[in-house]
Amino acid sequence: MTEFLFFIEVVVAGLLAGTMYSLVALGFVLIYKASSTFNFAQGAMVFFAVLAFVGFMELGLPFVVAFFVTILLMGLVGFCTERLVLKPLRTQSEDTLLMATIGLGFVLEGLAQATWGVEVRRLDLGIGDFPIQWIIDSTGLFISALDLTAGFVAAFLIIALALLFKYTKMGLGLRAVADDPGAASSIGIPLGNIMLLVWTAAGIVALVAGMMWGARAGVQFALVDLALKALPVLIIGGFSSIPGAIIGGLIIGATEKVLEVYVGPYFGGAIEGWAPYVMAILFLLWRPEGLFGEKIIRRV
Amino acid sequence: MNVPTDNILEIDSIEVVYDNVISALHDVSLTVPRGKVVALLGGNGAGKSTTLKAISTMLASEKGKVTKGTITYDGTPVKGQTPAEMVGLGMVQVLEGRRCFGHLTVEENIIAGAYSRRLSKAEMRNELEKIYGYFNRLRDKRKSQAGYTSGGEQQMVAVARAMMAKPRMLLLDEPSMGLAPQLVAEIFRIVTELNQNEGVSILLAEQNTNVALRNADYGYIIETGHVMLHGTAESLLNDDSVRDLYLGISKEGRKNFRDVLRQESAVHPDLHHG
Ligand SMILES: Nc1ncnc2c1ncn2[C@@H]1O[C@H](COP(=O)(O)OP(=O)(O)O)[C@@H](O)[C@H]1O
Ligand SMILES: [Mg+2]
Repeated sequence: MTEFLFFIEVVVAGLLAGTMYSLVALGFVLIYKASSTFNFAQGAMVFFAVLAFVGFMELGLPFVVAFFVTILLMGLVGFCTERLVLKPLRTQSEDTLLMATIGLGFVLEGLAQATWGVEVRRLDLGIGDFPIQWIIDSTGLFISALDLTAGFVAAFLIIALALLFKYTKMGLGLRAVADDPGAASSIGIPLGNIMLLVWTAAGIVALVAGMMWGARAGVQFALVDLALKALPVLIIGGFSSIPGAIIGGLIIGATEKVLEVYVGPYFGGAIEGWAPYVMAILFLLWRPEGLFGEKIIRRV
Repeated sequence: MNVPTDNILEIDSIEVVYDNVISALHDVSLTVPRGKVVALLGGNGAGKSTTLKAISTMLASEKGKVTKGTITYDGTPVKGQTPAEMVGLGMVQVLEGRRCFGHLTVEENIIAGAYSRRLSKAEMRNELEKIYGYFNRLRDKRKSQAGYTSGGEQQMVAVARAMMAKPRMLLLDEPSMGLAPQLVAEIFRIVTELNQNEGVSILLAEQNTNVALRNADYGYIIETGHVMLHGTAESLLNDDSVRDLYLGISKEGRKNFRDVLRQESAVHPDLHHG
């Protein structure tokens, strides 16, 4: 029975960690849907955002103020990316845009380190990485408070974004642009504003993910690689599917933890880093369009 | 404006070049009188879509450029505006091939058409009701995903969506494309109603010469980027060369318009060669 409880613990911890992958993958999906571009800079955005946040805190700004100033900064990054990089390239091929986002990633990483230095920062959110007593008392499960908070925050953001896209005018505009940018522009939907919305949303997602991860392992360059785990998530979930990003994140989170705990020892541990990529490759062979790869609706 | 003009659109010998090299329009002039329906006719590749995109400024996103001539919409020179700005001025294009938002419902598609306007919930409801009044079929389909509706319904969605922007001028690119004759008739009936009841001026690109001229006031025929002939819809319908070439009435094979013009000796009083 304790064996089984332990398994549940591992799965729950994996699912909670997975919500973070879902969230970061959602940032990719948004930009992919709006501009058909895989935003390679998303990992760098996570690092840049949380480093900026810590930097503002060090300047003495209160938590909430630093949070919103960072969001504004990410909006500005989005604005500059849209106006200076994407807009001039809009008539170019998707490959060119992909290259541009890779370049943007390097610029952000460099800028962040030049401004705030290279050493690992501590980020204290006031939430400990230790089990919650009442959960132990009622279920016998050891669940970390930090995992639980991260899970709830990610779930909250995902739901908020989903509602925004389903029920607001901007959201309708985004979905229209995602389906057919030319047609959207022909009826007066300003592509630039929609792109700005998408990049700001991706910036917020990046900041929150960076804060949650940074609180556990420190704010450091390794966050870029962590964020790139959204790639296997997207291969499993499908690049243009929001539900796919969510489910894909949960699958990766849960299986990588289970593999780490039960299979890892045979490989000398630390397989979390590469196991998701192996899963993604196996998945590609089985279902190249991804679990939720959207059916492409043919225009009649 | 010093001289009040009754033309909502005036195009004066424009030339359009794609990618800085490919010349698509050489010399196109046309006018659309306010409140009228004007047909722009010609075969595949004649330059119909290019003309419409030059007017709506959609050309820019395809690396196309107006290199000569002028376009004047309701007294305003069309130059460097974005498509969204043109929509704001009351000029909306319905692109060739319908281009519905496939993953959105029919009603979401139509609502998206009002993106440029600020409407309250109640106003939006009224506008939707008015649109469903014209497009009855769409009322029953409003919750359906647009990508799964029929070609005729998608064409209706595209026109309905454009009308939600409250245009004063509508550019329609081949609304009959790939549709069965009775659907084409239904769509043209609605377009005529919109023209008459809403007072929207219409420039209509079509390969289906017969249907287009029967629903238009005036027509222009273009070939390889040149206006070959223009006149009232009636005069074009009765013109022998037009009947020969575009209405499929002649028993001989299709000829080139230039050849016909060379042979033509009789000059019609209300036809003008471009
Ligand atoms: N995006 C484009 N780039 C380059 N050439 C184009 C483009 N669009 C159209 N053309 C060319 O311009 C000419 C006119 O095309 P178009 O306006 O689409 O004709 P129509 O609508 O009458 O069929 C054709 O020769 C076509 O090949
Ligand atoms: Mg065309």
